[in-house]
Amino acid sequence: MDILLQLAISGAIVGMIYAVIAFGYQLTFATSGTLNFGQGEALMLGALVGLSVFNAGISYWWVLPIASVFGALQGFFVEWVGVRPAMKIKSEFGWIMSTIALAIIFKNVAENIWGRDDLRFPSPLSDTPITFGDAYIDPMGLAVIGGAVVIMLAVEAFNRFTILGKAVVATANDRDAAGLMGINTRWVIALSYALSSLTAAFAGVLIAPVTLTGARMGASLGLKAFAVAIIGGLSSGFGAVIGGLILGIAEKVTGFYLSTGYTDVPGLLLLLLVLIIRPAGLLGKTTIKKV
Amino acid sequence: MIRWNQWSALLLTSVALISLPWLLPNDFYLHLAETILIYTVLLYGLDIVVGYTGQVSLGHAGLFGVGAYAAGVLSIKCGLGFWIALPASMGITAAFGILLALPALRVVGPYLAMVTLAFGTIIQILINEMDFLTDGPLGIKLSKPLIHAHHLSVVEYYGVVVLIFVLATIVMNRLVHSHWGRAFEALRDSPIATDCMGVSVYRYKVLAFVLSAGFAGVAGCLYGYSEQYISPNTYNFDLTILFLLAIIMGGRKSRFGALLGSTIIVLLPKLLDDIHSFRLTACLLAGAVLLGSVVSIRRGITTLKAVWIPVLGTVAIAVVSFQLEAMTDWRLSIFGVMILLVVYYLQDGIVGFSSQWVRKLKLADRMEQSIPFAAVDVNRAPITAQSQHSSEPFLKVSNVVMAFGGLKALNRVSFSVHRGAVLGLIGPNGSGKSTMMNVLTGLYKPTAGRIEFKQRDITGSDPSAIALNGMARTFQNVQLFGEMTVLDNVLVGLHHGFKSGLFGIALRLGRFGRDDQSLRERADRLLTMVGLQHHANELARNLPYGKQRLLEIARALALDPELLLLDEPAAGLTAADIVELLSIIKVIQAAGISVVLIEHHMDVIQAACQHVIVFDFGEIIAAGTPSDVQANPKVIEAYLGA
Repeated sequence: MDILLQLAISGAIVGMIYAVIAFGYQLTFATSGTLNFGQGEALMLGALVGLSVFNAGISYWWVLPIASVFGALQGFFVEWVGVRPAMKIKSEFGWIMSTIALAIIFKNVAENIWGRDDLRFPSPLSDTPITFGDAYIDPMGLAVIGGAVVIMLAVEAFNRFTILGKAVVATANDRDAAGLMGINTRWVIALSYALSSLTAAFAGVLIAPVTLTGARMGASLGLKAFAVAIIGGLSSGFGAVIGGLILGIAEKVTGFYLSTGYTDVPGLLLLLLVLIIRPAGLLGKTTIKKV
Repeated sequence: MIRWNQWSALLLTSVALISLPWLLPNDFYLHLAETILIYTVLLYGLDIVVGYTGQVSLGHAGLFGVGAYAAGVLSIKCGLGFWIALPASMGITAAFGILLALPALRVVGPYLAMVTLAFGTIIQILINEMDFLTDGPLGIKLSKPLIHAHHLSVVEYYGVVVLIFVLATIVMNRLVHSHWGRAFEALRDSPIATDCMGVSVYRYKVLAFVLSAGFAGVAGCLYGYSEQYISPNTYNFDLTILFLLAIIMGGRKSRFGALLGSTIIVLLPKLLDDIHSFRLTACLLAGAVLLGSVVSIRRGITTLKAVWIPVLGTVAIAVVSFQLEAMTDWRLSIFGVMILLVVYYLQDGIVGFSSQWVRKLKLADRMEQSIPFAAVDVNRAPITAQSQHSSEPFLKVSNVVMAFGGLKALNRVSFSVHRGAVLGLIGPNGSGKSTMMNVLTGLYKPTAGRIEFKQRDITGSDPSAIALNGMARTFQNVQLFGEMTVLDNVLVGLHHGFKSGLFGIALRLGRFGRDDQSLRERADRLLTMVGLQHHANELARNLPYGKQRLLEIARALALDPELLLLDEPAAGLTAADIVELLSIIKVIQAAGISVVLIEHHMDVIQAACQHVIVFDFGEIIAAGTPSDVQANPKVIEAYLGA
């Protein structure tokens, strides 16, 4: 029983990171019907920029906002170069390929700047685990879970309570109508990309002390988050959290009882299973396509 | 139909390929050529998904790997050789295709890309992990195929690859020019209309992906025996991207484009490896783009604003190539920039781009003569006559409710249609007429109520099943397959008449030929009826609006319907067009086909309908003969306001 609790805790830590990235996919998918196949790279860049800033002697708690600002700028850039021109091509092909191309470039640039080896990001919190019963959690793990919840709530609050956020929601509901109401929908799409990369960069700085940091850390996280976004539903923020927890815990359990080599398998299986049983995702809404 | 010049192109290519070992007696070049051909077979398959159905697969390297490993595992674990492994690889990979496509294609959106991306990654991990089956990271060694206890030589195996390449080309050509190929193209242009023509979009999307996986499996098996070594790390994500790049760069929906794309991706890495050859290529490319742009601008085909980015991009790559000492560090970035340039500026590939360029150059010289449209000809109309009137209603709608959230677009609607009758549906905009039609044809599942068609409950059935059951329709906002020819549009409507399966198509069995000939004649007569026989090879989107509406009717009649639903057929038509439309409706009615007609033109309703029902706010407010209804005060109020 205790081992299960321990697995659940470590699953929850990584699951919350998946959830934040999946949440980022949802933001852009809602406004533009596109998503950034380089979201994992946005996280990776956030973490590495954060590391450089940290090494320059700035406190970890200042690194978080600085990396977030960098993430937002990176998001604007992706939208400007990779999505806006591609949306003129009336096929999914354009934006999928262009965001992948940008991801390849980002990864290569990161390799050339920070090297190919994984780097250690020192933990800002004490290493003494907090124990309850026989299970324990690192203070940093707790910070990851807390931080992930905070950033998602912050974006939700932005969408609900600010006029700019309302423009995002309006565009998500009906892009054409929002455009006719005088909302600059192209700008809103750019904003959603900025928000999405911002959350990813934030998540990158959070997770970096728990795992290692390096140019190759993004790809696998971005991929898992795809699974989470589909499992939870591409239209539900809460679904992303549920999906992230399910996948994170499923992976740890598989890794412990089967073999760590198979950790990545439950993602695909759950993905296919959800698509068979509930194609819109566990908490996603089934929409009727208007003719 | 495969035209003669296609056969001669294929013959020429095969002769050139077969003579290659004598022209270039060098194992290295032979192996390059072999790899190009194998990749081309895979690209044919990828083209079905990406080019024809417009879906994106990010798992084709994974499927390629499944094909190779199927051959490898059969050899080391079961001792089965190449000749059994080849069809087995195809079958096993196709089975993986089914596993992915069935769930992923249930939803519209980028799901296939996401699922196949996950598959591509995980299959690599599985191959590494499942060493009891695959020998894990060690990989599998294979020896060349056996014939009569003799291992094929490198040249002989090359001959086998050429043979399979030629067969794959023929099968692919036949496939895309068959009713299956038309279904793939149609569902890309308008999935809704495809479903309403009795061609299930979901079924054909899955079919396309499975066929595609089959091609990947064959290619994988050939590749395994070509390299004689199968290792898990070959089949990675970069290879998938390379395949996709090849398809766009070469040109979609073109056999030659696939071959060209494959050649580029096989030769390109060799070029990028060496700094000198890379510099040369980059300069040549920049020169070609610059020259092409200058010529185009001077001929007035394009503007400076449209070409400055690709010109600058290619020149920048050329300049950068001289700055870089070692290529290897920045290889991937250059690769990424190339993908961006290709996606934005070479969408139709080299094949599509050059044919467009040539056409534009010609057009700038002389304007093409336009052919006048023929008149509508309703004599000997090719409509299958239905049994005449009967007293029993054969479409019965009872208490149908259609709610979108809180809004009830239809509220307890009931009516019925008798055989051979023409029923008019009128009402102000937004009163629920089109919603009714979408519910009847299965595009919307009604919230409550029941629909019986030919005494059978069809509530909640699939649109394609309802269409095949004898209900055809046109659309208020024209839903033609714009990128297909006028003739092909009608042939999609005739899809139900083609009975051949994969083998019939690939082998051109007698039945396929007979079906094809008789249905093409039928299509021709349908086009003559609507006056489009001289424009059969024109793209549907190039027709004037009124003619597009007539084409939709011809396409709907191709289904041999018993009930035809016309959604505002006269909208946007000229007075002369409306007269022609009325004569067509008369013929349809004379053949005993029942019609439900939504229309705002009261003269059309007066002329065509015996019975009219009036909708307002999702409810029926009046019913009767056209004159009765027009005099009804409720109707006047609904239209003009109190």
